[in-house]
Amino acid sequence: MRNTGSSKRRAIVAATALGALLAATASMAGSRILGTGAVSAIEGAAGGGLSPWAVLSSTASDDEIGVTAAATRAWVDDYQLTVTGANVNLHDRMEFSIARQTFELSTLGGELEQDIYGAKVRLFGDVLYHPLGVWSAGVMHKRLVDGTVPTALGADDVNGTDAYLSASKLLFNAFLGRNVLLNGTLRNTSANQGGLLGFGGDQGGHAWMAEGSVGVFVTPSWVVGTEYRQKPDNLSVADEEDWQSVYSAYFFNKHVSLTGAWLDLGDIAGLPSQRGGYLSLQAAF
Amino acid sequence: MRLHHSLQSISRGTLVAGALVGVLALAGCAQHAQQATLYERMGGQPTIDAVVENLLYRIADDEEIVSYFANSNIDLFAASLATQLCDVADGPCQYDGPPMDRAHQTMGITDAHFNRVVEYLDAAMIEENVPLAARNDMLGRLAPMYDDVMRLQ
Repeated sequence: MRNTGSSKRRAIVAATALGALLAATASMAGSRILGTGAVSAIEGAAGGGLSPWAVLSSTASDDEIGVTAAATRAWVDDYQLTVTGANVNLHDRMEFSIARQTFELSTLGGELEQDIYGAKVRLFGDVLYHPLGVWSAGVMHKRLVDGTVPTALGADDVNGTDAYLSASKLLFNAFLGRNVLLNGTLRNTSANQGGLLGFGGDQGGHAWMAEGSVGVFVTPSWVVGTEYRQKPDNLSVADEEDWQSVYSAYFFNKHVSLTGAWLDLGDIAGLPSQRGGYLSLQAAF
Repeated sequence: MRLHHSLQSISRGTLVAGALVGVLALAGCAQHAQQATLYERMGGQPTIDAVVENLLYRIADDEEIVSYFANSNIDLFAASLATQLCDVADGPCQYDGPPMDRAHQTMGITDAHFNRVVEYLDAAMIEENVPLAARNDMLGRLAPMYDDVMRLQ
């Protein structure tokens, strides 16, 4: 039963990606500068990887529409996360995203899956041209496919919604003549391990969490940096820790980017100190 | 378990401290290297003139952008832009042309147009061998002009 639903969803994501590829043959790249659409974060929104950023996906500008599709895999000691997602940017004002996360419990056995529906609105500004950078607000509605395990661990809910406020700013010529990208995000969330372990628990519910990143554009098409994401700790049976990464993202052109990262995700579901690698490929049109 | 964690946080702390020291040391070197003006680091007036000419060829090839110059005297525009870039780069020039909002008023310039010209300027600087740090510096000094250019659209 679950397999049928899952393969149906995969088919939808694949069809969206195919649609994006076909649309690309008819449309040119957006006009925004290379790299200003960031990459696909693991929850589907444009961002760094762990955290959503204030920039909107692709390089679509005020009179353009952009579409991105991304495939991501993260390997840590006892788990593997696979994310497929698609995202549309309307006139550099609104961003809508959908992502499917599959979390394989390599050591414990089994897998957890959730779907994430996201919307982000650019409130004001521009990451390059505005003195205060770009400011955006967004929501992510998360739905676990099967909430049995998270509920057994003590999660209150199998669905949840995050809301966030994010600011991003490029500082020109800020470090060794290179441009530096700063991002800060405040997220209201009750999600345990991003939602894969359900929402809320015996130790808490919704709370504000801080996330941030610093990246240096070594060249206009290559950014390296680090990201930090504060996490709640709602389940007494499964300690949860903050996430961090060191990343490198390369923009081959306005259509293709590849991101690699080293992850330190801390304790997850009773297994300590989860570290590993991350690769994400994004296509944008 | 607890010991493992404290060891981990110590090694993390050491890493961060090491990175900070490295960053400060490198930033010191950068400060020293950047005592020359941007004008000098770009290559002086010959390079700026070459960048302006290169940029104008790119604009000439873009039907949509070049239409904005239909009623312009291109020689005067080139001289004025070269003087402005020299001034912005702390060179020995004084730009006395019109302010950016009046120069672009009611032209119907969109973000897409603006971004395209930024890309042309960067491509022109690359082709005229302006170093990356000087390009970033110049783009950073021009970026705040976006608000002025767009104010009276």
